[in-house]
Amino acid sequence: MEKKLKSRFNLLENVYINYILIGILFLIAIPLNQAGIIGGSVLITLGSVILYSVVGIGMNILLGYAGLITLGGAGFMGLAAYLSAYFTRDLNMPFLFSLIFSVGIPIIIGIGIGLISLRLGGYYLAIATLGIGEVLKQVFIEYDVFTGGFSGKSAGYINLFGLQFDRIGTYALYAVILIFALIIGHNIVNSATGRAFMTMRSSEAAAQAMGIRMLKYKVLAFVIATIYSTIGGIMYMHLIKFSFPTTWGLGMSLNFLSIVVIGGMKAIAGPVVGALFVIAFPDLVLKNIPIIGTSPGVAYIFNGVLIVVVLLFYNRGLIKIFTDAKVLIKKLIGGK
Amino acid sequence: MSNFIQVIFSSLEIGSIYALASIGIILIYQTSKMTNFAQGAIGMYSAYMATVFMRGTGISATLATIVGMAFGLVLGFAIDLLIMRRAKNASPVTLQIITLGIVLFLTGLAPLTFGAVPLAFPRFIENKSIEILGASILYNGILNIFIGFIVVALLFFALQRTKWGLAVRVTAANPTAAKVMGVPTKKVTMGTWAIAASLGALSALMLAPNTVVDVGMMEGVQLSALIACVLGGFQTFFGPVLGAYILAIVRNLFGFYISSTWGTALTYSVILIFIIFKPNGLIGKKKIKKV
Amino acid sequence: MKDNPIFRNDMILKIEDLSISFGGIKAVDAVSFEVNEKEIYGLIGPNGAGKTTIFNIITQFYKPDNGKVYFKDKDLKWKNLIDYKTHDVVKTGLIRTFQNLELIQDLSLLDNLLVGSHTFYKSTALEQALRMPRAVKEERKFRNKAMEIMKLLNISDKAYELVYGQPYGILKKVELGRTLMSEPRMIILDEPAAGLNERETAELADILKHIRTDYDTTIFLVEHDMGLVMDICDRICAISFGEKLAEGTPAEIQNNSFVQEAYLGSEEGELAE
Repeated sequence: MEKKLKSRFNLLENVYINYILIGILFLIAIPLNQAGIIGGSVLITLGSVILYSVVGIGMNILLGYAGLITLGGAGFMGLAAYLSAYFTRDLNMPFLFSLIFSVGIPIIIGIGIGLISLRLGGYYLAIATLGIGEVLKQVFIEYDVFTGGFSGKSAGYINLFGLQFDRIGTYALYAVILIFALIIGHNIVNSATGRAFMTMRSSEAAAQAMGIRMLKYKVLAFVIATIYSTIGGIMYMHLIKFSFPTTWGLGMSLNFLSIVVIGGMKAIAGPVVGALFVIAFPDLVLKNIPIIGTSPGVAYIFNGVLIVVVLLFYNRGLIKIFTDAKVLIKKLIGGK
Repeated sequence: MSNFIQVIFSSLEIGSIYALASIGIILIYQTSKMTNFAQGAIGMYSAYMATVFMRGTGISATLATIVGMAFGLVLGFAIDLLIMRRAKNASPVTLQIITLGIVLFLTGLAPLTFGAVPLAFPRFIENKSIEILGASILYNGILNIFIGFIVVALLFFALQRTKWGLAVRVTAANPTAAKVMGVPTKKVTMGTWAIAASLGALSALMLAPNTVVDVGMMEGVQLSALIACVLGGFQTFFGPVLGAYILAIVRNLFGFYISSTWGTALTYSVILIFIIFKPNGLIGKKKIKKV
Repeated sequence: MKDNPIFRNDMILKIEDLSISFGGIKAVDAVSFEVNEKEIYGLIGPNGAGKTTIFNIITQFYKPDNGKVYFKDKDLKWKNLIDYKTHDVVKTGLIRTFQNLELIQDLSLLDNLLVGSHTFYKSTALEQALRMPRAVKEERKFRNKAMEIMKLLNISDKAYELVYGQPYGILKKVELGRTLMSEPRMIILDEPAAGLNERETAELADILKHIRTDYDTTIFLVEHDMGLVMDICDRICAISFGEKLAEGTPAEIQNNSFVQEAYLGSEEGELAE
């Protein structure tokens, strides 16, 4: 039995390597960029894929594992982005301090909203967060002292412990953050907390009989998703360096939904695949297709169709292609 | 005083628009046990269809609305037939996401099929108004209020007195028992989707003259219709209608007397907090879960 | 206890005057009975008698209109379970099973068992997220415990397989394993023999008897299958139409005229099995 448990832990280490590999794959873009093979804008797109993945990982925990829909993710992300810009630019706070507040404040709001909305049935959270998202967008437009209103808000690259990051450095940092985001997400999902989420989602009755407090775990899942969203928002602010209130609307929240569903809800790395499809594919491929490529929201058509198709037929999402490929490769090599 | 009258009339008008949209949502909720987030988007797409048709053929706004509603009917049938039927065994969360997928699809399709430029849709009755207690009220506004009341009344009559209505109520109460009793539940669901979509089209076209026909036109209505259902309670057909009118009146009062920018946000917040004390809405019944 | 009912030393569960109505119909009418420590106790009745309702009241999935549910908890103190929220019941040492098992399809057998020990985990979500030593140690401890239980139930070879697609007999054992993980004082089972064939029912009877001795647990069955009940129960309570008919040993129940009358109407010769 000892042996079985040991091999189980080896299996875990194996999965960590997968996540590290994902980070390395993204890092490969840097030398490619230095060699002039891919342009700076591609790097920014990939950087966006990374930060959207981070947000997506959190949303996946909330939706794919705990079974709760939020339509306000963009709002929290935007709030963190604006806070980070405000603290670093306007108040000249050191980045680490700014980080604490930019993440902390939305979390406190998130806990409050969670405690209120999650007492009621499933549909309620979706509606409440839809409303919150709209309210936040209104706040972003109105409080222009703080957000710059429609003219937007700008911020610079990160300056940490005196080290000034540039675009390449930021990208590299983000790839590392992604690895950690994946690993921590994996740990959460494979722990008692993760099992509680999944029990809550599958069977309220079983959850209650086993002593799982529904409200506590719903709020916990919501807070975890909020934390990932805020980190993603800060990453957005310091890579894109500009933020407009209209960015943080329902469209973006629906993008996150697409990222989670299309990528694959039952896998931690699903959102990475989802983000590649929802963010990179339109930017790098769709835009270049004649006629249809120029229509705004063309990507939405694909996202919408894929969501329905995935949910109806390919429950495991696009990431299944990768897991199936891995199985195939293992078979070809001779397998372990 | 005249301002107050103005506010009340415009509240009743927008309340009618919300009511029609929320009836669509509650009909689908009761018969398919899912929250339809695509009600607004379906209305939007039908409104575009009606507007473009009107421009192409030169018919009146009223006729175009009928065309729009007919299109909505077909769209509703199609969605149920092609998508919802295959999702029979999906969880409520999955069904909600599917409707969100439909929202994305229609949001992307509209600019592709209709162009990205916002269009104008005229009122049913232009340029005529009447004076009531010092306030100038448009005929069109009164017409919209009437349309709202009449459609709501028709639907309730149908629900209570016709065979179809009975089939809907039985399917809503207990789908399995309904099937056993020979109620054509598949047709009921399809019919419900068609009617809901049609109502979405009507509310969009009633709204259109006050704004423009563009991709985001119904976003506000969608959210308001959902909140109307939350306020009125998802357990009855009538609750959301009541919620819709109350929501419209409160929002306009807040908007006019407190703050025009924050009126909506304030209303939503008040309702979402009110729900903590009355979780089943104004006309709510508690459901006992069988284990 | 205000009313100061009499608790004998060997009692573990005392149901007193339980009543509940649904929409004007009395589903359970002033039912009282007692279960003793380390007994295997059965609650029987024809369909619609109110067994499942009583079951749900005991486990606090329903609150009764009247009556008390006294239980001797892990600290050997008497508590009225009606004062408890559903998710707090397991902490007193009472665990239930479900007619449709309510297992998590996407998790392995092992993980499903681990859900049973949820209330024992002391590490916080943060510690688990960062795989801090305390969290890792705890997880290892409970995994070992789960493997032990699975060995007893003969399903340890499938520990890492998903619950999805497993045969019904295996799933029943997984659920039973899950209850054992909560270190219960009493396991209350909702129609455990439902869907099992004769061989599986005999195996279940065996397992329940072993659990009673090896795990020092009281077993309470709500059952329809007379075979199982007559075979392993020490005492039985028979109800019909929400009322108690009789309480006693299997032999006494079998020979009780009220019970025979109530059951002869539903299925002939059922009691003769």
